[in-house]
Amino acid sequence: MSSSGFRIAVAAVCAGFSLWAMEAAAGPPEVAQVKSRQDKFRDMGGALKAIVDELRKQTVDWDNIVAPNAQTIKDRSGYLINWFPKGTGPEGGVKTHALPAIWQTNDDFVRLGKTAEAEAVKLNQAALGKDRNALRAQAEAMSKACKACHDSYRSPERDNDE
Amino acid sequence: MTSKPFHDLSKAYRMELAHAYTTDLKVWDLPVRIMHWILAIAIGVCWWTGANHQLEYHFYSGYVILWTVLMRLYWGLVGSSTARFSNFVRGPKAIVNYASALHRRDTPPSHGHNALGAIAIIIMLGLVLTVVILGLFSVDVDGFYSGALSSYVTFEQGRHLAHLHQKWLDVLLWVIALHIAAVFFYFIYKQQNLVGPMLSGKRPGDGGEAEMKIAPLSRFAIGGVIAAALVWAVSNGFYF
Ligand code: HEC
Ligand code: HEM
Repeated sequence: MSSSGFRIAVAAVCAGFSLWAMEAAAGPPEVAQVKSRQDKFRDMGGALKAIVDELRKQTVDWDNIVAPNAQTIKDRSGYLINWFPKGTGPEGGVKTHALPAIWQTNDDFVRLGKTAEAEAVKLNQAALGKDRNALRAQAEAMSKACKACHDSYRSPERDNDE
Repeated sequence: MTSKPFHDLSKAYRMELAHAYTTDLKVWDLPVRIMHWILAIAIGVCWWTGANHQLEYHFYSGYVILWTVLMRLYWGLVGSSTARFSNFVRGPKAIVNYASALHRRDTPPSHGHNALGAIAIIIMLGLVLTVVILGLFSVDVDGFYSGALSSYVTFEQGRHLAHLHQKWLDVLLWVIALHIAAVFFYFIYKQQNLVGPMLSGKRPGDGGEAEMKIAPLSRFAIGGVIAAALVWAVSNGFYF
């Protein structure tokens, strides 16, 4: 390879890398929106897991584990339908599991969101009630409300990410 | 007999063999057959319930698989002769020898696993164990239906393990497909029926061949109780 050819090749590689770096660093606001809602969803999942883990143990730590995590789920679920402004679906090329159906049958999506919110309120009550069986039953009801929405509006994780 | 076609020779040879097959030889004992079909059914159930997100039954079926794999490993050490790893796991030379005769139709049936089949068995058992262990630590997306040991990992770790659980399952399913394809190959090309013996425990043979040594069922029962206790402890996440 001639030396000028070499320099052109190096320049091309540099340009490629900086384009790639720019894309990774600063995306459109939709990217930030999707990232942020996925983070919040993961907090909710982690909170429900913490409660379920606690139920497996001999003694349940109601004050330090169950109550704060139930609170997290309740707080978050009150807002989650707002995390899906138009344009944050997969059509914009953003990496998301949100399905286009969210915006096509939005009434149903919102209804499922409200159901989950109602279950989260009950979960919070069960956490304060400190009754193990009641908490277990409500944790399951809660997860069914999460699942009901995921089944219709979240694409399964296959062949992509992580 | 200078240029007799090969397939004629092998046909004559096969007829000769068929005449020599005067008795039924025991090749698989009851535990091996039962464990084989339990695995086949339970892996199917886990696959279906997993893909359709019916995780409650998925877990029960997973425990059945865990018990069966543990028992198969135990039986590979102390079971009947054809079940033992020491009898069917061969060295590289035997494997190459066997593989180089694979295209021939006149080879006699193996007593127990053949040298190549043995590799598939070891890989499948290892993969099933891998998939089950990953499943035990997997966390479902909403955090509720999670593996029995998932309380020992964080939510994000458990999600990652759930992805690996799927990836290794894919690998397992390919190996199972290969295993089934091989059985078809033996049936169609070599005209050896391998499914029948896995059901009845017997294959045609002649009296001159060595019989298998059968291990007592009581030995299986003892291991079965211990394995069940272990699976029960696992299913409770070792919280007592
Ligand atoms: C009204 C619908 C709806 C409800 C109710 C709902 N989710 Fe989700 N959830 C979604 C959607 C849509 C996504 C995909 C978001 C994306 O990828 O942009 C998602 C994603 C997630 C994720 C994955 C985040 C990631 O890492 O990508 C978790 C975890 C999660 N939800 C947990 C929960 C839990 C726990 C509950 C119940 C307490 C719940 N969700 C209730 C719609 C819902
Ligand atoms: C005790 C044993 C097992 C446990 C505890 C377990 C646990 C789990 C969990 C928690 C999930 C959900 C993961 C998610 O939502 O992404 C899952 C999914 C799955 N598992 Fe298992 N598993 C076990 C055994 C098996 C076995 C033996 C197989 C294979 C035959 C299997 C096949 C699957 C499949 C196909 C999925 C679906 C993945 C998807 O949603 O696409 N599992 N398992």
